[in-house]
Amino acid sequence: MSRALPRLLSVLAALAGSLLLLFLAAPLVELVGTSGGEGLRRLGSDAELRGSLALTALCATAATLAGVLCGTPLAYLLARRDFPGRAVLSAVLDLPLLIPHPVAGIALLLLLGRESAIGGTALAVGLRIVGSPIGIIAAMLFVSAPLFVSGAREAFAKVDPRYEGVARTLGDSPWRAFHRVTLPLAGRGLLASAVVMWARAVSEFGAIVILTYNPKVVSVLSYDRFTSHGLGEALPVAAALALLALVPLTLLRALRTDVRGER
Amino acid sequence: MIALEGVAATKGRFALRDVTFALRDGCFGVVIGPAGSGKTTLLEVVAGLLAPSAGRVTIAGADARGRPPEARDVGLVYQHAFLFPHLSVRDNVAYGAGDPAALEEATARMGVTALLDREVRGLSGGERQLVALARALARRPRLLLLDEPFSALDPRRRALIRREVRAMHREWGLTTLQVTHDFAEAGMLGDQAILLDAGRVLQSGPPAEVFRRPASPYVAEFLGAENVLGGTARDLGEAAPDWIDGAPSEYARGHRAFAFETEGLTLYAVGDFAPGAGHAVIRAEEITIARDQTHDSARNRFAGRVTELATLGALTRVTVEVRGVPLVAALTTRSAQELGLAPGIAVVASFKAMAVHLC
Repeated sequence: MSRALPRLLSVLAALAGSLLLLFLAAPLVELVGTSGGEGLRRLGSDAELRGSLALTALCATAATLAGVLCGTPLAYLLARRDFPGRAVLSAVLDLPLLIPHPVAGIALLLLLGRESAIGGTALAVGLRIVGSPIGIIAAMLFVSAPLFVSGAREAFAKVDPRYEGVARTLGDSPWRAFHRVTLPLAGRGLLASAVVMWARAVSEFGAIVILTYNPKVVSVLSYDRFTSHGLGEALPVAAALALLALVPLTLLRALRTDVRGER
Repeated sequence: MIALEGVAATKGRFALRDVTFALRDGCFGVVIGPAGSGKTTLLEVVAGLLAPSAGRVTIAGADARGRPPEARDVGLVYQHAFLFPHLSVRDNVAYGAGDPAALEEATARMGVTALLDREVRGLSGGERQLVALARALARRPRLLLLDEPFSALDPRRRALIRREVRAMHREWGLTTLQVTHDFAEAGMLGDQAILLDAGRVLQSGPPAEVFRRPASPYVAEFLGAENVLGGTARDLGEAAPDWIDGAPSEYARGHRAFAFETEGLTLYAVGDFAPGAGHAVIRAEEITIARDQTHDSARNRFAGRVTELATLGALTRVTVEVRGVPLVAALTTRSAQELGLAPGIAVVASFKAMAVHLC
């Protein structure tokens, strides 16, 4: 009896885990399995899909670059310094992950729309935000940058600050110690975080559809085809998007080696 | 010279409080203290990696406040080495080195020349410490800060490297501050010992003096004194010359004689103690053991029985119970064998008045 119970619990735990795994993987396997080939074939004939994929990848890359440039110092600050308001700052950074993405789109529309100060000023100098790739990039940045900052913060936190300390005693200025020691040691973690951010940006729909319906990114195109032409037309587009998301996933797996600093 | 005056600093759960000491140029200072006493924090304050919340750090006569670590001309070696894992051993050693000759000398003298083309990940703990030492020395700093840098070395290599570091310290005129919890190491290396506990300096001075004249029973026990007895001291007046005969005069400050009553025993001591309650400290190696009464100059002589023998290689620790008070003596194992010591044997334990330190 005493041996049977732990065994039964182990079997139940394994079963529960397997069911969740199946639930998560099955729709994607089904989607790519049934329509992945068609999606790839459509790339040759469907110019709108090709353009949409390129637009999605480019905008996600631009958003990721902006996120990395602005988020890296922030992540370093959060990992290394203890300052008043750090908890509040962390909570603010998590906000975009917690609110529904259409709500994020509406909030961005209020901030960047042509009626707003920023949107109006931009429009006055010939820069259209809403309904342009800039709007797409803004929406992608808003929903995915917190993922980068969170991952990068963890990557920096894993690098023992004493490495920097030693570098400083060996003649490095703070910036030089960061560049020569901390950045290379946190590099893999930063890259992995950037890949996650890129993948999240690629798959964003809710905020983008509010800010920029046209030009269409792949997620919007998939939705558009589903509502206009039905499931048959939407499937290859959705499969192409799923395949695009698999690229960073594979990269991430390749990078997932031990990123801990060594003493 | 480096000097700390009333320095307070906090790093996580480690805190320094009112730390004051000075180390002259070219001196080898050893900071001794138990784990968690703030030894590493102290080195980080001197290196400029941690700003003190109070007090002043002076390096080479100038206030070091606002002077960043890279401008302090220090070399720092942590216990865990902290070699940069993304660089080769060669690149690690050359990281901050300016003079190629210093780099070559540091590498050769730390015995890591053969490791230069290796990756850091493949090094043992001891090899890492040696490379970290070479890296710090290759910069030829004026001030060398060492945090238990020999802890991962095997005993033979430890003795060798300890000697080499001491030699380089002397030849290069380095001012060195080393952290250790091993008093024997402090005695071998240091010109000055700084005892740290719970973030405070308990005592500071030449190792021999700290060893012989601990400031408190806690310090005495921390430094491994085997016999620390509580009691009351009575001033007997100026010590007669034969009480202080043959002892180094610096340890007999004041030359006052005392009778120290402890648990039914009366010990005779010489020193500069204020009469009253206190502790008597007698190091085990100061106590001699004989089978019969001897007629030497020892003021303290007690008959007792051996209760325990503990042989540690060439040395044997003998516990003698004298009227219920255990006294621990250290003899060479050969002497213990020649005396035929065994539990239950009657012996006489004797020691000089100069060997009793009152604190």
